[in-house]
Amino acid sequence: MEKFPLKKGTSSIPLHTATTYQTMNKKYTNGSGLSSVTSDDSDMIDINTSGGGDRNSTTRSQDDDDGNLQYSVGFSGMHESADIPGIGQYDDFHTIDWQRDIARDRMRHRYIVKKKQDSIWSLIEGAHDAWSGWLCVLLVGLLTGAVAGVIDIGASWMTDLKFGICPEAFWLNQEHCCWSLNETNLDTGNCSQWLTWSEVLGHSTKGAGAYIISYLFYIVWALLFAALSASLVRMFAPYACGSGIPEIKTILSGFIIRGYLGKWTLIIKCVGLILSVSAGLSLGKEGPMVHIACAIGNILSYLFPKYGRNEAKKREILSAAAAAGVSVAFGAPIGGVLFSLEEVSYYFPLKTLWRSFFCALIAAFILRSINPFGNEHSVLFFVEYNKPWIFIELIPFIALGIIGGLIATVFIKANLYWCRYRKHSKLGQYPVTEVLMVTVITAVFAYPNPYTRMNTSQLIYLLFSQCGISNTDDLCDYNRNFTDVNSAIEIAAAGPGVYRAVWLLILALVFKLIMTIFTFGMKVPCGLFIPSLCLGAIVGRLVGIFVEQLAYTYQKNWIFSGECSTGDDCITPGLYAMVGAAAVLGGVTRMTVSLVVIMFELTGGVRYIVPLMAAAMASKWVGDALGRQGIYDAHIALNGYPFLDSKDEFAHTSLAADVMQPKRNETLSVITQDSMTVDDIEQMLKETEHNGYPVVVSRESQYLVGFVLRRDLNLAIANAKRMVDGICGQSLVLFTSGTTIQALGPPPLKLKKILDMAPITITDQTPMETIVDMFRKLGLRQTLVTHNGRLLGVITKKDVLRHVKQLDNEDPNSVLFN
Amino acid sequence: MVSTISSFCGVLLLVCAVKAQSYENSRCKCVCPSISSVTNSTDISHNTRHFHIANVPPNKCNCDGVILPKLGDKIKGRENEFCPRCECKYENRNLTIIKVVVIIVIWVISILVIYMAFLIILDPLLNKRAKGNYQEHTNEEDETAAGVGGPMSHNMSVRGNVLNRVGHQQDKWKRQVKEQRRNIYDRHTMLN
Repeated sequence: MEKFPLKKGTSSIPLHTATTYQTMNKKYTNGSGLSSVTSDDSDMIDINTSGGGDRNSTTRSQDDDDGNLQYSVGFSGMHESADIPGIGQYDDFHTIDWQRDIARDRMRHRYIVKKKQDSIWSLIEGAHDAWSGWLCVLLVGLLTGAVAGVIDIGASWMTDLKFGICPEAFWLNQEHCCWSLNETNLDTGNCSQWLTWSEVLGHSTKGAGAYIISYLFYIVWALLFAALSASLVRMFAPYACGSGIPEIKTILSGFIIRGYLGKWTLIIKCVGLILSVSAGLSLGKEGPMVHIACAIGNILSYLFPKYGRNEAKKREILSAAAAAGVSVAFGAPIGGVLFSLEEVSYYFPLKTLWRSFFCALIAAFILRSINPFGNEHSVLFFVEYNKPWIFIELIPFIALGIIGGLIATVFIKANLYWCRYRKHSKLGQYPVTEVLMVTVITAVFAYPNPYTRMNTSQLIYLLFSQCGISNTDDLCDYNRNFTDVNSAIEIAAAGPGVYRAVWLLILALVFKLIMTIFTFGMKVPCGLFIPSLCLGAIVGRLVGIFVEQLAYTYQKNWIFSGECSTGDDCITPGLYAMVGAAAVLGGVTRMTVSLVVIMFELTGGVRYIVPLMAAAMASKWVGDALGRQGIYDAHIALNGYPFLDSKDEFAHTSLAADVMQPKRNETLSVITQDSMTVDDIEQMLKETEHNGYPVVVSRESQYLVGFVLRRDLNLAIANAKRMVDGICGQSLVLFTSGTTIQALGPPPLKLKKILDMAPITITDQTPMETIVDMFRKLGLRQTLVTHNGRLLGVITKKDVLRHVKQLDNEDPNSVLFN
Repeated sequence: MVSTISSFCGVLLLVCAVKAQSYENSRCKCVCPSISSVTNSTDISHNTRHFHIANVPPNKCNCDGVILPKLGDKIKGRENEFCPRCECKYENRNLTIIKVVVIIVIWVISILVIYMAFLIILDPLLNKRAKGNYQEHTNEEDETAAGVGGPMSHNMSVRGNVLNRVGHQQDKWKRQVKEQRRNIYDRHTMLN
């Protein structure tokens, strides 16, 4: 998974860093050698390649020592360039330069190691720096677990508030209210201490009047919660809406969205999530948990400058935080780590893997000790299974996978269509009204059906669980004989209750599918995992009941005769529900490994790995065949985030020259290394909008010296004007290190320390396939194109993305970028 | 604000500790069929099930520990028949955590709602009076937004007193939120 081979150099052994440093030197001396030569050689313009090569090799050997010195000065200058505020930071909606940030971190690390010998204090500082990564993920884990506990408890309390209240202890939900009362009614879970709203108003619990009052209260509460959620989001933190996983994926791939992981987003996402889950909307809190965890990671990383000030390093913490998010969402620490690895992370070295592991562990532990559901697990729908499955069942499992893939495709297509419609039509102008409308429709249609009235997690739990003595739902209304002692549960004919439940479940399936299509993408915090798990669980349970009745009817048939003839319960519909859930979730998100691990951590049994794998694989195949993208990738494409997917292959034959900027008839804006004045540069910054400028020896020769970012240039000039005396419009801007004696005029402005002397360069004949690979694997922000050693143009990540879109016949202007 | 919340919670805890005597932190919940299923085989009422909830240590949470002390005399001689059909589950919870969390959630939501109401209703009135001041801030921010970043605005805020600084931060935050709103609700460039 190491996508950045260069990074291997960052070991904590000083000797090792020294060697990488040396090897990098060799590369740099080339450039500096050239620059020192040019001063005496103005007619190098037309020099041909062979001559130039000769010249370079000789000067390189000469200047080796000198170059060494220059480089170290340049980069230690980079370390001290913290005195120019904001260098190394990025503007909103920009991509980061992984290579540059990692190089910065390496220099910082080297500096700390070097200083270690100086004093005890520096030694302590060094030690603190070494363990700050672990400390940071520890804190992230602690806080994520705690926040998840708050959300779980708050949501379960507020969900039950729609039905009634516990007058003696208002903070308890229905189950906790009836905790120690024997008389609890098994059908409704009701007890004397829990008052439904009709009871509160003085009516009885039975009858049409009570039903209508409860119905009305249900709708009113749902509306209130949804309205609060939508307006809080709109008022305080619009970025808190949605699931957040597409954006987290984009951010982890190296994009900056300021405020997306900020304090307000965190608070509003938590509160809004509690409210929107309680409103009974068809959404879940598991996806946003990833966003919440990442926001916590981002906020805490500012406590450690190593991570807070370095965007590339910060993403290591965010990857670990994403793992913690899934870990608390499903109580599946290993599944969380794999989710981070498979689905969201872009850059995932082993060090991050271990940190994610640790972070997920801590978060799961904290949530487990809070014990929000009173079942000793971190999710409501934890079920424990140890029933065996028979080989022939693989066929229905694969069929479930196929059905899951179909449902997922329908969902993705319809949801994307609706989101696109919302984006381009007037509907998008009424976000709060839309939420209220969907809430009213959901509440009105959900209440009459007991399976949709209950919390979605509870429904999943019900569908997952086996029919035992404690399960009195209609789903378990089999004609079972309880008088036989030794076999408590056996295969039996379905009673009328089961058929009733089947019809209600089919209605629930249709309702949930339609509502989820309209819900996902509304401007409230909403996740997708729970609704898709629920859809799959319903389908799975239905198929399970069907197969079970088949086995009961044809007990003597050779297919079932081996295992089912004993009268034991050989087909478990709950297991089918689980497999179906995995299939739909797998089809929607296109996860495979992490999904299976999450599912078996949910069920606490490794026995079902093969069925889950079969279903996940079948569903992924069907999904991939019918629609190219998973829901997250589709939303990334819809929003035009600059995400260079490492899954897609680039299968065209274009060359760098076709993609690079400037096109023909346009000129490339460059900065010369020692002949432009501050006014010239400011003029150029005003006239052009590029985010970076190549620095060349002279306009005529176009020999490349380095690359300087617009933002750094702005900051450095502003800083120099403020701090250094005598800098004015006529000052020369020097990117060289030589001290040119200048008796006349104002003092020169030396900007060598903001110059990136190691820009990645390619030739104009490089195939785009290689370039796309470089952008993906090295995390480049731009690369410079040369021809015969002379600078020809620039390819930025935006150019690559637009080119890919153009070749895929999509609108290239939809890429969101600055 | 934190101290108010905690003191409030403290008071509530005291008040409620008296009231919530009947709420335990752990239980053993057993579900059994009705006794008639063993005593009177002719009566086919499988589906009526009964809860038996007791507060016993986890290792006693089984038929012997919970059901037999209660129903022992009624099902005498048929324990071996009745007991396998009971499902017992030990559960525990922490009432204090639940109480504190729910109260915190209510507090946070009410504070946010009050602040939202303030921003919607009162803030425009207040801002109208301080418009000149506000204008000045905007200009400063434009300058800093053009690229000069952190310490510059820091220097500015040192000049004013604490109130101004808070107001300045608030303005900055409001502008950020406005920008986010424009991205999402008006231009639909993100999070669709």
